Amino acid sequence: MLKYGYGGRILRIDLTERRCCIEPLDSSWIKPVIGGRAANTKRIFEELSPDCDALEPDNILIFGIGPLTGSLLPASAYYTVTAKSPLTGILGDSAAGGQFAAEMKLTGFVQIIITGKADNLLYLMVTESGVEFVDCPKFKGKTIIETTQAIREEKKDYSIQVAAIGPAGENLVLFSSIVSSGNRVNGRAGMGAVMGSKNLKALAVRGTLSLELADPLAFLTEVEKIEKSILSHNEYQKRYKMGTTMLMKDLNNIGILPTKHFQEGVCKYVDEISGQKLAKSYKVKNKACFNCHLPCSRYYVIDDHEAEGPEFETLCSFTSRLGNRNLPFALEMNAYLNQMGMDSISTGEVIGWIIECQEKGLIHPDDLDGLSITWGEADKIREVVDMITWRRGIGDKLANGAKRLSRSFSEEARKLVMHVKGLDMICGDPRGIKAYGLTYAIASRGSDHLRAEPYFELTNRKEEAKRRFGTEKAADRLAEEGKAALVAHSEKIALLTDSLTMCKNIGLCMDILNFENTSALLKAGTGIVYSPEYLKKIMGDSIDLDFKLNRRFGTKREDDTLPERFQKEPLSEGPTKGSTVDIKRMVDEYYKIHKWEG
Amino acid sequence: MIRVDISKCTGCKRCEAACAFFRSGRINSHISRIKALNLYEIGIDGAVVCNQCKERYCDCCPENAITTGSLGEVVISQTLCTLCGICKKACPIGAIEIFNDFVYVCDLCGGRPRCVEACKEGAITHDVEEALRPSLSAFRKETKKMNPSQKQYFYLKKLGLEERKRWRKNRA
Repeated sequence: MLKYGYGGRILRIDLTERRCCIEPLDSSWIKPVIGGRAANTKRIFEELSPDCDALEPDNILIFGIGPLTGSLLPASAYYTVTAKSPLTGILGDSAAGGQFAAEMKLTGFVQIIITGKADNLLYLMVTESGVEFVDCPKFKGKTIIETTQAIREEKKDYSIQVAAIGPAGENLVLFSSIVSSGNRVNGRAGMGAVMGSKNLKALAVRGTLSLELADPLAFLTEVEKIEKSILSHNEYQKRYKMGTTMLMKDLNNIGILPTKHFQEGVCKYVDEISGQKLAKSYKVKNKACFNCHLPCSRYYVIDDHEAEGPEFETLCSFTSRLGNRNLPFALEMNAYLNQMGMDSISTGEVIGWIIECQEKGLIHPDDLDGLSITWGEADKIREVVDMITWRRGIGDKLANGAKRLSRSFSEEARKLVMHVKGLDMICGDPRGIKAYGLTYAIASRGSDHLRAEPYFELTNRKEEAKRRFGTEKAADRLAEEGKAALVAHSEKIALLTDSLTMCKNIGLCMDILNFENTSALLKAGTGIVYSPEYLKKIMGDSIDLDFKLNRRFGTKREDDTLPERFQKEPLSEGPTKGSTVDIKRMVDEYYKIHKWEG
Repeated sequence: MIRVDISKCTGCKRCEAACAFFRSGRINSHISRIKALNLYEIGIDGAVVCNQCKERYCDCCPENAITTGSLGEVVISQTLCTLCGICKKACPIGAIEIFNDFVYVCDLCGGRPRCVEACKEGAITHDVEEALRPSLSAFRKETKKMNPSQKQYFYLKKLGLEERKRWRKNRA
């Protein structure tokens, strides 16, 4: 029986039958995956029929946390939602911080596993004793915060945390998100649509069970060491001020800030849309996830709009990537997308792709119900986003994502969709960050940086690179050499962070978490012995499992690649001028390290 | 008394977690003597804790289990206490919780409040000056029929709406 750290139980909910079942969590099942993302993948691997339709009742939607979630470990505030993705047809998952995970911990459930489909729009109120099914047809069309507030008022408890879908999820927009803590987003791979397909408006949690640790004092000692290394980190002040939006200028400075849909890597008006500008002109305070002393999130107020955020991906997706220099408009879009529950990256991609194709004459307005749009056209963009949210007019087609939409157009147009395995690419031009490029290509949920977040290649630590990865080139962002080794290492730490469940900005980007301190934290926290070598091994095994799962879903080796643009077209100016990505070389090396065949 | 400056609060709940952990070795918001809330609909975060109010509304215990300590803190005799809940009902801001047969209210950790140390934003301070103790009579009338969570919410929302005016003013 798991006593410490883990809640020791899982909750299964069948929405069709409106039944729930509490099961003990077997320590031999959870130990080799720790928790969080790795545990969710294992569950999907064991229980999901690979050929199920992602939007049918038999898809499995899992909310998972880890053994140290909600503990004194800084930023141990994440939870991962996993299901088969309706956008990509392969493994889909997405994590979020905020306060939801720490409250879920107090229910004692490590995983909440949801199957079936309710006959009526409802929300689930999960407490330590199980679940209450609450019909809520009146919540239809409500935003995230309206839903959260309505549930708290109904239950007369303002400590309840809620993960909800907005109108986009209800309308099955294939890249709709789940949002908790008001503005904390499980953005990627369409987890909101899976929830919507089950007629599930929200999952609310409130618990009374205590989180107990095996050796609280030893745990505290480890936590204090980690707190110190965060506080003394050379990026602390910068991250405190701007959070991830610091990347606007950082990426622009090295010529990889996606501009006009990746046609350019340098944005001339970056000062008008930068993290610095945002912090100076609109931020009113810092916001934090549970127990984090690096409150890198921000709250802003502007005219009629206010919200938490935006993070870099949203900011870039709605500024330079769409050729928009109007920062207030991007902030309006952040608030809107969060409340409607829609992924800003995929939304930005479908719009950016249309703009570029129309500019190149590959798509005629008549092909899109008269839609004609160009760079930075705020009013049009606003209208299109609204049409997607409600699947209105041509929005109904756009809501299926850029890749699907592109099937009705020429090959030339199809090639311009910036995606890998159907997931739209994040904001960071791989031509100037090769390890990231490899990560986009191999990531098991499709184009994504968070599977490895090889931030190391940007830190210019040449000696450290040689020591860790056998070549100084691992710290040279423009080199392909050594990047497979860097990614193969970094993806294990990324998974470790996701499984604990800690924030990756801190755990990984700031280089805080490693196998040694994780081993000490887990022993003090759970009482279970995890040696550093064992951790390394099980993270490797879990990455193999991701690979096997996606093969079941039908992925092939040739899917592990990048859009042609990054392989053939060099950027025309800036510090990344002239560079392209030899993706095949890196993928081949990466497969070799993993000893994967085919 | 513990003072919370909501203009500096990030909503991280480190105060709440530290309170439970350092007093009981566990984490659970129900055993924390300070309650952190996130009011998403108005963008406000804050924490509610015993204000050591001028009125001492909780000092109405029929068993005389409540006294005032040397730092002005509420002291509860768990042996005299019969868990009747009258003090909990009397507190206008929801700063007293009864959970698993125990009454939880801020006792200033014997003079070294852990929540103050946990808050890296300086939003929580320990003020010993008696003259600064607030009156909660304005809340008393309005929150009488509410449960503790509703009282906490009402209290923070009132402070929060003032804070929001400052945001707009500073931006103008």
